[in-house]
Amino acid sequence: MHESILVFRKRRYLWLALILSALSMAAYLLHDPQEPPNGGTVLGYTLGTIGALMILWLTWYGVRKRRYASRAGTLQGWLSAHVYLGIALLVIVLLHTGFQFGWNVHTLALVVMVLVVLSGLYGVYLYMKYPERMSENRGGTSRAELLSQLDDIDRRARNVAAKLPDAYRDFVDSGIQRTALGRTLWQRLRKEDNSRIRIDGEVVENPGQEAAMDWLAGQQSRADATLAATIAELSALLRNKRQLLRQVSEDLRLQAGLELWLYAHVPLTAALLVALTAHIVTVFLYW
Amino acid sequence: MKYLIRFITRNAAGGSEFHDRIVEAPVITMGRATDQVLHLKDKRVRLQHAEIERRDGGDVHITTSALAGVTVNGKSQRDARLKVGDVIEVGANVIRIIEAPDGVDFAISFELRADASSEHLVSKWSAPSPGIGGWSKRRLSWTLAGAVLLFGFLLPWFGMQGFLAAGPVHNAHSGIANQCGDCHVTIFERVPDSACMDCHTVTRHVDDAEHAVLGTVRCATCHLEHNEPPQLVNQHQALCADCHADLPATVGLQRAGDFLDDHPQFKVSLKRPTPLDDGSLDWQIEHLVLADVVDGDRSNLKFNHKAHLAADGIMTPDGKRVIRCSQCHEPEPGGVGMLPVSMDEHCSECHTLAFDPDDPTRTVPHGDPEAVLQALIEYYSARLLGDDPDATGQRLRRPGQKLTRADRDRVAAQARTQALDIAADLFERRACVNCHEVTAVDDDALPWRVLPVQLTDEFFPHTRFSHAAHDTEVTSCDSCHGAGTSEAASDLLIPDIDNCRECHGSGERRRNSPAQLTSTCVACHGFHFDAKEDFR
Repeated sequence: MHESILVFRKRRYLWLALILSALSMAAYLLHDPQEPPNGGTVLGYTLGTIGALMILWLTWYGVRKRRYASRAGTLQGWLSAHVYLGIALLVIVLLHTGFQFGWNVHTLALVVMVLVVLSGLYGVYLYMKYPERMSENRGGTSRAELLSQLDDIDRRARNVAAKLPDAYRDFVDSGIQRTALGRTLWQRLRKEDNSRIRIDGEVVENPGQEAAMDWLAGQQSRADATLAATIAELSALLRNKRQLLRQVSEDLRLQAGLELWLYAHVPLTAALLVALTAHIVTVFLYW
Repeated sequence: MKYLIRFITRNAAGGSEFHDRIVEAPVITMGRATDQVLHLKDKRVRLQHAEIERRDGGDVHITTSALAGVTVNGKSQRDARLKVGDVIEVGANVIRIIEAPDGVDFAISFELRADASSEHLVSKWSAPSPGIGGWSKRRLSWTLAGAVLLFGFLLPWFGMQGFLAAGPVHNAHSGIANQCGDCHVTIFERVPDSACMDCHTVTRHVDDAEHAVLGTVRCATCHLEHNEPPQLVNQHQALCADCHADLPATVGLQRAGDFLDDHPQFKVSLKRPTPLDDGSLDWQIEHLVLADVVDGDRSNLKFNHKAHLAADGIMTPDGKRVIRCSQCHEPEPGGVGMLPVSMDEHCSECHTLAFDPDDPTRTVPHGDPEAVLQALIEYYSARLLGDDPDATGQRLRRPGQKLTRADRDRVAAQARTQALDIAADLFERRACVNCHEVTAVDDDALPWRVLPVQLTDEFFPHTRFSHAAHDTEVTSCDSCHGAGTSEAASDLLIPDIDNCRECHGSGERRRNSPAQLTSTCVACHGFHFDAKEDFR
């Protein structure tokens, strides 16, 4: 049975995060330093150390998830802990600051950390929503199946075209070879269809197989009954292909969304490691 | 309905074999799902791909909702009537309708086509996406990390050292400490006391070796920079209470843990006179528990606050006038204390020292009894010897004629008599006696003794108190001093601790009433001073 990372093992990491946050908040409220709350009090150093170690551990997730042979817990458990402890980190580090912010390297580290956590939360949202939308869009099949169906239609289109004059065969072949959906993340997010087709010796844009279907419709109207029937068969296949391409485009768009947030989460994490180092070094450089 | 399904497998040599299965079901479902009657292991096939079903009229149909449809006799169809000999293709699966043997309603054969592998013309779309505008996550990571590194270390390098500070520098230091190194003398070492002592000198708190505070604790333990809001002075209750709530008896100080309920009664510093053998007074400052001062303020002054503060005013040379406290008690610059009240500035307008109704602007000097008599004698001598013919008792003489010695003595005696008359009036009845203790003495030179007056300047010299800070909407002079009901100058109009506690409470907020301010020791007391004796 599939278990979401959010409810992994009876939400054990949610409870861990809640307890960690509650303990930090209780300590913050009970702690009464002889100075304004800041990162330099006993509690401030404690929370700061915990926060820094948590950041290192959370970052280690990027390493752990690539270690397929690792037996240190399941990857699902790691991700569940990664999500919940990442949120708890926000609480711990905010208490570490004593809510003192400024235009300095220390607040820079905080801001970068908050951005990392927020991008992570967005990632969690996507991982909760998008897979469902993806299977909804695919109607219970996989991307590979959609692509196989496309293959199948292409093959059948070639079979049908084989019964038609050479012009149709070239038409179908070029349409198949020049079918192209977005390749980069941006193109996929925008559901770009860069398909082209060679018609009457000229390569034209063919988004949604529109140009191809228009041309076929024109041919069909001028053809005799036998030819028209075969052309109609080809048109039906193209209509199916268009529908499948839409599904694939949507699938690619959703997958691009799933990948895109990592382009914020991962580089920001790298920036955070540097900012955190700068923060710690500076604090002790000017102790 | 009873179906026969014949599964045909072909071997590499081209031979074939088959086995039959009888299925009793209303429909033959086919798809990739395991619950299908015909389980098609082909990724191009949907979970529930198509169904074969006999309809009411007896015709057998195949129907599908798959976009790719099924191919019946080479034609892609969604719904087709089936007859013996028809060939259905679903992906790489080939289904043929065959003659139904006896006892079976409908029969099909099933086989996997030899060319089952697909062309994967579109497999390029499932390849991993190549990043954003050619930027991989790794490249973005290095770039962003480098940018932060530049930001964190280059900005300070180019003079913006504040970018490294954890918070602002207090105003008191902002003008003199512009570089980190001004206080952070050695990197990776904490700020030494010497960095503070370059400018500051500090008095001691506890001087005996056992309890020495200064020199054992770094300045920056209590005096912390870079906080927001900026706060250089440790105002925490524990700063004092940690020791003073539980001092050893040998120290000889009363315990003080919290202003609300663990604080000694106020001790007041009063100037008090002690008569010496020669009749003069020795003024000494005594530190007394406020509640124990039974003889009040012994300034030797006579003054009635109540009369002066009468709500309907008091008679003055200009008629009735209402007098306010601040007309006599003026705040000193900064508003911490009050300027001294002076006879010249605050009293003499009404309490004039004039003595001659014929000459109301002529006054005797204030503050020196001998000078008063001397001034009177000089005044009347001058009048007796002067040129004014109307002057009382002046003797006529010819121009150019000089006074004889006897005349001079007589005039001097007369002037002295007259002066003593007036002086008696001033000292005993009209002027001095209003405010001063005057006694007649057997002394020819000056037959009166005026007790000298000394007013206490500071009643609580070792506490911080600012009148200006207490000038609020809810306070008036009277709410602490109660001068409006005081009829004698000996009334000690200094508020006691209960008066302060109306507004000032504990150092811990939760112990206070809503009307009380959280007040720690440092609100009134300083740490670095050397006046322990006052608190014994």
